[in-house]
Amino acid sequence: MFKACFLLLASAFLLSGTAFGQESPFFVTYTHHMEEPGNLEIETSTTSGIPRSGQRSYTAPYMEMEYGVTAQWTSEFYLEGQSSPGDSSVFTGWRFENRYKPLSREHWINPVLYLEYESVNEASRIQKEVEGGGPDLTSRNALLTPEHAHEVETKLILSSDYHDWNISENFIATKNFSESEGVEFGYSFGVARPLARLASCAECRFCRENFIAGIEMYGGLGSTLGFGVHDTAHYVAPVISWAVSDNSTLRFSPSWGLTHESNPVLIRFGYSYEFQGVGTRISKLFGRKP
Amino acid sequence: MTFWAGLVCLASVVAAAQNPGYQPDTSWRASEVATARQNPLASRPEAAAGGRKLFAKNCAECHGKNGSGMEKKHSANFHLPVVQEQSDGTLFWKITNGNANRGMPSFSKLPELQRWQLVLYIRQLREPE
Ligand code: HEC
Repeated sequence: MFKACFLLLASAFLLSGTAFGQESPFFVTYTHHMEEPGNLEIETSTTSGIPRSGQRSYTAPYMEMEYGVTAQWTSEFYLEGQSSPGDSSVFTGWRFENRYKPLSREHWINPVLYLEYESVNEASRIQKEVEGGGPDLTSRNALLTPEHAHEVETKLILSSDYHDWNISENFIATKNFSESEGVEFGYSFGVARPLARLASCAECRFCRENFIAGIEMYGGLGSTLGFGVHDTAHYVAPVISWAVSDNSTLRFSPSWGLTHESNPVLIRFGYSYEFQGVGTRISKLFGRKP
Repeated sequence: MTFWAGLVCLASVVAAAQNPGYQPDTSWRASEVATARQNPLASRPEAAAGGRKLFAKNCAECHGKNGSGMEKKHSANFHLPVVQEQSDGTLFWKITNGNANRGMPSFSKLPELQRWQLVLYIRQLREPE
């Protein structure tokens, strides 16, 4: 049964068409651009932390599967892990997120509502967002993995396209139901722009139109028990994405920690591949009208 | 026999890859300001070549390689006067916003000038008079 399902899904992917990979370069900040309906994007990324004294170095890989349910609704599923040299490699949990864009047309400011359930443990370091004071960067995995967090995370995403610039702001509120630490807050902002505004007539891989560069800033804002930037992690990060082919994108971002609770440097890499029309093809495989 | 069957099959595929009866959605309307916008690339017709490349990558899947639409996908046929009579500003607005309920995605994530390049290219698909 499992084998049959796998073959069906694999053939749906292989039959998929291509899409022009013009992906946002941000790792943390969300824009209002949703996944196209029926498209599936698979992304593998890593966040590596370079420690200051007393902190542990780590690499936290994660995989995302992003699916465009409708033009205004995108769902994402994550699996994540973490590995620290001299310590251990551990599975740190999963996340399921949904983004909903209430307005179908483009406006000056485009709001998107975000709701995520996280079943992770305290060894999680992917830092898809920073909230509260940021993650514990000093303890050993053996101490952190038994501490489970069942979290519900909400975000208000505001995003604008102004000429060729995208300007996005995210406001985060997270409640961990496994601990009484109140509601934690965080933020992220980003601006990005393609390196070339016009498309050239020839096919090219290294030309400027395939690159989008920008900068993002993100961090924690404490919690209802103590709101503010005191004892919280904050980062500023240049970002760049490169549309390697029509449907795949590479992203890179070095982040600089601005406070003592941050790592001095975070290095982020991501590679995404987009399968077009997966929803339609799966419906067809099951004999349903798309 | 197989040859003729193949030919009939091919002809029906070609016929399906067109939408001769396409009618725009009357409720999908740009504001007056958006309608009046001029194409900033109007004086640079050579930029249409980039529009052609963008079209092949982003649009041909639904609108067909030659832009004549697909009946099955209800997608617009750019050869028709009902599409070509609309202003550059309207076409730009439609590409930017999409009409999600009827299957046209929003392309606001393409840089603004690239969306204008697409408008330039769509103009080249006008049916010869
Ligand atoms: C997933 C399929 C799909 C893709 C991809 C797609 N379109 Fe469309 N498009 C449609 C459909 C369906 C309509 C008709 C919508 C309606 O009936 O209102 C349409 C309508 C349009 C119209 C409006 C025609 C009118 O009614 O005046 C324009 C302009 C247009 N598309 C341009 C583009 C461009 C440019 C691209 C690529 C950047 C593109 N489309 C990609 C499906 C698609």
